[in-house]
Amino acid sequence: MRVTFRPLLVAALLPLACAGVARGEDAGLPRPERTELGNGVVLIVQEQRASDVVALQLWMRVGGRDEAPDELGLSHYLEHMLFKGTPTRPPGSIDRMVEGVGGQDNAFTSYDFTHFDLLLPADQAAAGIALLADIAVNASFDQAELDRERLVVLDEMRLTEDDPDRFLARRISEEAYRPTPYGRPILGTPELIKALTREQLARYYHKHYVPKNMSLVVVGAVDPGMVRKAAAGAFGRLRGPDSPRVSMPPQPDPGHRSVDLPRPEKQAYLGLAFKAPAVADADVAATDLLTYILGDSPSSRLNVVVRDRLALVSSIEAGYVTRQHGGLVSVTARLESENLDRGEAAILAEIHRLQQDGVSETERQRAIITAEANYAFDIETAEGLARDYGEAETNWTLANELQYLARLRQTTAAQIRAAARTYFGDYARVRFVPDAGAR
Amino acid sequence: MKRRILGALAALALAAPVAAAELPVVRERFDNGLTVLVRSNPAAPVVAVSLMVRMGTRWESAADDGLSNFVQAVMVTGTTKRNGGEIAEAITGLGGKLSANGDTDYSEIRGTALARFWRELLGLTAEVALEPALLPDQVDAQRDFLLARVQKRRDNPPTHAFDVFFAKLYGIHPYGLATLGTPESLARIDQAAIAAWYRKFYRPERMVLAMSGQVPTADVMAEAKRLFGGLPVTDGTVDDTPLAPPRPAGDRTVIEQTAQQTQILVGSLAPRVADRDYAAVKLLSTVLGGGLAGRLFVELRDKQALAYTVSAFFDPMRGPGSFLVYMGTAPENAGRAEAALRREIERIRAEPVNAAELRRAKAYLLGTFAMDRRTNARQAWYLAFFETVGVGYDFPSRYRVAVEAATADDLMRVARTYLHPLTTVILGPPPR
Repeated sequence: MRVTFRPLLVAALLPLACAGVARGEDAGLPRPERTELGNGVVLIVQEQRASDVVALQLWMRVGGRDEAPDELGLSHYLEHMLFKGTPTRPPGSIDRMVEGVGGQDNAFTSYDFTHFDLLLPADQAAAGIALLADIAVNASFDQAELDRERLVVLDEMRLTEDDPDRFLARRISEEAYRPTPYGRPILGTPELIKALTREQLARYYHKHYVPKNMSLVVVGAVDPGMVRKAAAGAFGRLRGPDSPRVSMPPQPDPGHRSVDLPRPEKQAYLGLAFKAPAVADADVAATDLLTYILGDSPSSRLNVVVRDRLALVSSIEAGYVTRQHGGLVSVTARLESENLDRGEAAILAEIHRLQQDGVSETERQRAIITAEANYAFDIETAEGLARDYGEAETNWTLANELQYLARLRQTTAAQIRAAARTYFGDYARVRFVPDAGAR
Repeated sequence: MKRRILGALAALALAAPVAAAELPVVRERFDNGLTVLVRSNPAAPVVAVSLMVRMGTRWESAADDGLSNFVQAVMVTGTTKRNGGEIAEAITGLGGKLSANGDTDYSEIRGTALARFWRELLGLTAEVALEPALLPDQVDAQRDFLLARVQKRRDNPPTHAFDVFFAKLYGIHPYGLATLGTPESLARIDQAAIAAWYRKFYRPERMVLAMSGQVPTADVMAEAKRLFGGLPVTDGTVDDTPLAPPRPAGDRTVIEQTAQQTQILVGSLAPRVADRDYAAVKLLSTVLGGGLAGRLFVELRDKQALAYTVSAFFDPMRGPGSFLVYMGTAPENAGRAEAALRREIERIRAEPVNAAELRRAKAYLLGTFAMDRRTNARQAWYLAFFETVGVGYDFPSRYRVAVEAATADDLMRVARTYLHPLTTVILGPPPR
């Protein structure tokens, strides 16, 4: 589906790559080529002939965090509007063109970035590049289309609220990051969306959709030389001013924030969020492994103890979100409401045990293999690899990304325990409590 | 009897519009009746396995609804050699995942790993499938987890609405049962029932094993033979005779459930995967609900803004399939949305699809199908599934030919044949 913000707490969150050093040799893969066009657009190309398709992704350095308080939801609204058309591509024609060759288009919004994805037969690569360059600067924002999309976005808000897993992920992130821009609703508020004007949207678009904020990632059964030529032709002539991002306030301490929400579900949900290192921090690798060991798989500590041995929860997992200016490690669980307090105490006891005793060498090795495997499964598809590269280029650096698995392998058990001691302090808490009067 | 077939030969003869997904597949049927499929894929250093058994809700009744899925859930919690924790540690150590579930026509154990551990993955799959402990305390523990999952499905408006829809559409036919079961049936199922159901169905002639990944085909086949080839052919049989077809009356059911959105589901019975009309009905479903240029998305979302989610479903089934259009909308729009949905169904029964629309639908249907089969996990699933439901692992190449050959007249004919009577489920908050 077009839309969504990144599936917080569910996906691996940090793209685990390491093409050159460790993995490139393992898998015999070529390295990506990174070039900068004269106007600041970054191009990343990698030939991958696993199947006869090409993934083309336009990554924008703009997202929910760049919005002023009266602009909340505009980044996401643009995500909905760009594939709707340009002066030379009437409404509906882009979807018909893409799907008419058996391809797919999609788009995603996060706090740090927005990206527009095409998946096409490889021989359509040049047409796809031209299409992305066109929507990057020439979107029409047809008034009728814009008004109709308002209702779609309002429906999306309702949909998120009806799904307890997604809603918990959203609420806990908002609670932990409040009052910084990362703690605001990525979809905006119903009031702002109802009042949104074409001028406001166009102003935001022209301000942020400038060449220096763009990265084009191309992975697939393509000749890199052809891609460079097509990209230079389509993106190289774009012009626009710089649009430096506003500085972000420091990540707040989430300590002791707590919210209980009545919900129609019969089971309760518990979410805890700890302040964790941002994407470029030296502690990212240790925190990543720590999260795997704590709650990423059925053999993780929370699953073995809190779910299987103590039987206090029906499901439990830990996740690590790395944003550019501050991360979160979260633990989420589904459980009977009478177990809410004991479940939370059991989670904290496991965390305490990690801080006291650290992790075993076996656990460390297993976590590294899990990270390696997550990466290997990402690169099964052209779009998976493109997404890893796009996020790295936009949020971090491609070079860091390529060395990341090697860094994970060098991380020691002592560093993992140190991360547990540093980051598992105060936490924000959100609980969904069954509302007896709901039905 | 041994048969080896190279799947690539059939696939290469056809011009592929999108993805070159058809790598060679080696198929072998062991003397005990177990079928093995291996697909060597150099794309990434990973491997996936799927072990399917012809066991599922199709053989269940309301009294033991959910038994197949329950058996699968207990199987992965312990073998005669390892407990659940040791299995979980072993699979994590391979960089993989292992899980099991029951479905309608089949039950599956599926796993993934880094490719260099393919032998360990295959061994673990065999151990879980052939030597499960099925301990009473695990039966009780899994029952609690399953009851919580049933509750979660009921609490979630879309999943609850789908379950009600299938129950209404299929009536007493077992395709109307929930694969997870019900609180009542799960309470009734005990360890003896689990063990008996396992013994009844886990017979070599009912099993298909598929592996796809960066693996040496001949070595995988030899290892599969070592692990599964000696499985004895036992006495006893399962009654596979076809069931009396369902006869839906075309009911409209309204259910009140607290939520922000109202769910609308409208649909009918549809052909089996092996039927001649299968490809034409897939196209019908694509014209209506396939992709962002499908009619429902364009008319109901883009033009009328009545929904965020709107799509059509028609999944391959061994028995009678179901055709279903679905949308989630704001409660105040529900009346208009349902009327608009019905208008689209009426229109496709009354007017032929135009040439450009049919062309887009064909490209989109074949394109998404090829793209969906690029990962090894999906490949293993598809190989085992098509074999299990009786159309053969090489079904995709024949399916492609059928899709390409379908005409606008075919679509109108199948629309008129299948899209009535319409079963409807509306689930949403009570009117304010």
